[in-house]
Amino acid sequence: MAGTFGSINATASALRYHQAVMEVASGNIANVSTDGYARRRVVGQAVGAPAQPAMWSRFDGHGDGVRVGSVDRLVDPLLDSRARREHGTQSFLDTRAAALARVESSLGEPAGEGVSSALAGVRRAWQDLANNPDSAATRAQVVATSRTLVDAVAGQRRNIEAEEGDQRASLLADVGETNTLAHDLAAANEAITAARLAGNDTSSLLDARDQMALRLAELTGGTAVENGQGGLDVTVGGVALVTGGKAGTLAVSSGINPDGTSDGQPLALAVTPPGGTATAVSGLRGEVGGSVDLLGTTLPGLRAGLQAVAQQVADSVNAAHQAGFDQAGAAGQPFFAVDPSDPNGPLVLLVTDPASVAASAIGGGPNRDGSNGTAIAAALAGPTSGYQQFVTGLGNDVASVRRLAATQQNLTDQVDGAREQLSGVNIDEEMVTMMQSQRAYEAAARVMTTLDSVLDTLINRTGLVR
Amino acid sequence: MPINRVTQSMLTDRSLTRLQGSLSRLADIQEHLSTGRVLNRASDNPGDAATAMRLRASLGEQQQYARNAEDGQGWLASLDSTLGSANDMVRRARELGQQAVNGAMSQQSRDALAAEVDQLRSALVANANTTYVGRPVFGGTTAGSAAFTESAGVVTFTGDTNPVNRSVADGVVVDVSVAGPTAYGADGDNVFDHLAALSTALRSGDTTGVQTGVTALTSDSDRLVVARAEVGARTNRVDLAVTRAGDLETSLTNALAEIENADLPKTMVDLKMQEVAYQASLAATARVLQPSLVDFLR
Repeated sequence: MAGTFGSINATASALRYHQAVMEVASGNIANVSTDGYARRRVVGQAVGAPAQPAMWSRFDGHGDGVRVGSVDRLVDPLLDSRARREHGTQSFLDTRAAALARVESSLGEPAGEGVSSALAGVRRAWQDLANNPDSAATRAQVVATSRTLVDAVAGQRRNIEAEEGDQRASLLADVGETNTLAHDLAAANEAITAARLAGNDTSSLLDARDQMALRLAELTGGTAVENGQGGLDVTVGGVALVTGGKAGTLAVSSGINPDGTSDGQPLALAVTPPGGTATAVSGLRGEVGGSVDLLGTTLPGLRAGLQAVAQQVADSVNAAHQAGFDQAGAAGQPFFAVDPSDPNGPLVLLVTDPASVAASAIGGGPNRDGSNGTAIAAALAGPTSGYQQFVTGLGNDVASVRRLAATQQNLTDQVDGAREQLSGVNIDEEMVTMMQSQRAYEAAARVMTTLDSVLDTLINRTGLVR
Repeated sequence: MPINRVTQSMLTDRSLTRLQGSLSRLADIQEHLSTGRVLNRASDNPGDAATAMRLRASLGEQQQYARNAEDGQGWLASLDSTLGSANDMVRRARELGQQAVNGAMSQQSRDALAAEVDQLRSALVANANTTYVGRPVFGGTTAGSAAFTESAGVVTFTGDTNPVNRSVADGVVVDVSVAGPTAYGADGDNVFDHLAALSTALRSGDTTGVQTGVTALTSDSDRLVVARAEVGARTNRVDLAVTRAGDLETSLTNALAEIENADLPKTMVDLKMQEVAYQASLAATARVLQPSLVDFLR
């Protein structure tokens, strides 16, 4: 049986409990727009008989009040891990799409502003030379338009190289951020373990932990697993980056100098697990994976494609030019060279003297034949279509990666939506909870008043005779 | 997937996403309108971009063919008028010879005829060295400035007989020159030799010689007529090529516009619709974001 003040205690527990509920509700409302905040819910527990009665003991109590069983953080670890995966893929695709779109818009095609217009200019100049092979002006025009073509090709290469430089810089920044985050996550893991041992509320630490793990996934596509002590262990490329309270490091092992320039070696990354040795990793996702893919495959591929076009131009023009004869009747020299290491290359103009332009197909002395000009103009048809293929190929790649990114965005949004459905704060809901608790608090206060008056009757009125 | 809970930030996020989507579609249409093009980068439509680039290259080719053909027209026109006046001169010389053969004539009159023949001969030499943009039109690809040179009373061909070709269409090459000997006869037996012989025969009163000269000039005249007819035929080909290149240019320009250019009325309608959609989503956002239970609990 309950004691005299048993009911007062039960009522007091109600007041305490509902205060806690309102406190948590107000915390939820306060964080309605906080990034990474998962709503909390107070789980009440009726205080009553012990769950496991002791042998031979009797418990006849009931209605002993309520207490805060736990404050639940409404999250689903499965959804969290899906979100990390989708975000990793998303940022991988976004990084690639953005870089390729930049390169593509710098081409100035198909509006005919870039290399294709320069090629057309060269073909026109050769045709005009065929019409007027004895004119110094048309000869000079051939040299001038060829120089424009060389500059246009060099401009394209510079654009690709600039993008490579930007990607190297951003890769270094991402690697730095990854290491800082890994370090912070390890510290959070440790704090969580300590807080749990001390019995403190770990919700805010867990929010921070999940945020960091998500960002790590966005950076590297790394996967995270709960380690049984409240912390998250992160694996990047199959190698442990964070284990409990200890963090390893991600580093660029070759390919990039610390100042962001290329060291000429193939790009390679390595993860050093806590207390372990550096292990090469590949196939990363996220922003780092995107940059590695761009630097390792896509951008060098584009550079090679452009160089192939330059080679095609040089080969076609040289073959035709060497079959002709210049103003003095001497055999034509090579017109272009391809030099990938030339800062103004890869296409290099070799003939700069208008008199050396081999317009004539007839040797043996000076003449006014211009048919070799026609032949060279015709020979440029191959490189022109080669360049068109290069542009279309890039356009296809950009369109494809953009489509992939858009599709992935749907998936990412869906997972984010599912998380938000579970963890997001709804103000109406919190208001209802608050009202409910307010009323319950009021009712408990009324119970207290009633008890008071009951006791008053018993203590002050009992035994009094009027 | 059923939605179990809707939260405040879901509403804000979704509204923002949709506003962004709406705004970016608006920006796309605006790009189409302000550039007048729907194909602004290869990835907008890789297939069309490839076609557009090919069309633009063909367009450049056709324009060049037209330029080449127009240059050829200049050559052929100058050949035509030169051959015309050359034939007139040869015919006049033949008439003079005929006169001398037919009528009984004093030596003085024959000398006068001979003087005119000499004049015609030197005019014809100048005529045979006609140039077009600084090049002797009968000289082939010679680097020199004259097709025929006179030395010690003998006119010889100093040009070459290489063709002067103009590409006037894909795979169509027209020789726009006429080699000197084709029009004026081979060295040693050319119209200039015949005129000189006629003049000598007239001066010496050699009637047989005059008769021979007249006969020779008749065949010279025929040769010039044939050469002129050939020039006329080639002019036709080149003229046709100019027209064809112009037509092709128009149709290629149309095809390019079809692919690249924005359909203005359609784009305007799209813009209006997208504006309405954007305003609607703004209005919806404004309404959806305000109320919550707080507004009704007092």
